[in-house]
Amino acid sequence: MAEDLVLDTAIRDWVLIPLSVVMVLIGVLRYFVSKLMKGSSQVPDPKIVKEGQVIIRARNLRAGANYIPAKSFRARKAYYSNEENGLLHVPKGQAQNPQAQMFSDPNMAMDMMKKNLSMIIPQTLTFAWVNFFFSGFVAAKIPFPLTQRFRAMLQNGIDLSTVDVSYVSSRSWYFLNLFGLRGLFSLILGEENATDDTQRMMQMSGFGMDPSKTLGAEKDGLDIVQHEWALPKFEQRAEAVLRKLVK
Amino acid sequence: MAVHDDVNGSTEKSNSGMDELLTFNAENMQNNMKVIYYSRTFLSIISGAIAGILGFTGLMGFIFYFLVMAITSVALAAKASFSIHSYFNSWNCIIFDGFLGGLMSFVLFWTFAYDIVHIF
Repeated sequence: MAEDLVLDTAIRDWVLIPLSVVMVLIGVLRYFVSKLMKGSSQVPDPKIVKEGQVIIRARNLRAGANYIPAKSFRARKAYYSNEENGLLHVPKGQAQNPQAQMFSDPNMAMDMMKKNLSMIIPQTLTFAWVNFFFSGFVAAKIPFPLTQRFRAMLQNGIDLSTVDVSYVSSRSWYFLNLFGLRGLFSLILGEENATDDTQRMMQMSGFGMDPSKTLGAEKDGLDIVQHEWALPKFEQRAEAVLRKLVK
Repeated sequence: MAVHDDVNGSTEKSNSGMDELLTFNAENMQNNMKVIYYSRTFLSIISGAIAGILGFTGLMGFIFYFLVMAITSVALAAKASFSIHSYFNSWNCIIFDGFLGGLMSFVLFWTFAYDIVHIF
């Protein structure tokens, strides 16, 4: 039954290929549009930048703790996490309410909206376009069998229960493209695009997050570092390596 | 595999193998992971197109994908001259990283090529 279905070559020439090409092109366009929008002047708050730098420095100290003597490590640790005026120490009550901060800066909300819109608008438009022109017929066939459960997913827009499940309607082909092209985009547009969506999410939550919390977390991390100076062992290492060389 | 090796060529000789003390450069490590991701994505797209043009159906195509990914793993390991720990955290990242992400691309390009060549 399934094998009997003959698809018109016009479907291939006018639906399958154009749809895929359009999806790719729209992905590229979206990338450049969002890049353009991001490029607009955005002066970060010096305080936030300063805090970020402090966190990076503390992180570096944590990562390289074993390469400095215990005394130097202790001195640096005190510099960061000292209870009175350490850089990572945030006095209580001074922490800003993130919500209030967001409302006080309309630019931030605007930015977020722009980013969201640049994702949602093209998707909605493409979906509407596909729906309008290509709805209601089989456009493709996936080369492997699937169970009935996938019918709703793959034959979105066709209400025939006798058609084999491996036939795909054009609307579902659009969805397949949407998910499957992510890899291609990451290849042709560089890694920026691949991590774009997740990064945006991170940024969004990062903006809303309380900076004093990250400072506090970093401070705790610094506090529990077990310091063990690595260099004494390195002499033995070097000795072993040299001995091997001499042999 | 030639193209793949080209992609992998940008792997930096980064993490000098110090066994006892874990020393690594986080940026280089990330770069290595990125190279793995790229080569896997690239290969999954190419292998999808190949599977479609050759007309694999059903289980055959998936076996082909697994085969390609296994070859990729071996090739990546060979590129790192089998001293995985001087480039990566563990064997897992060489073997499994980007496996499922590539599957989606593979299925898409497989279907696309198969439909164009065989269905109509």
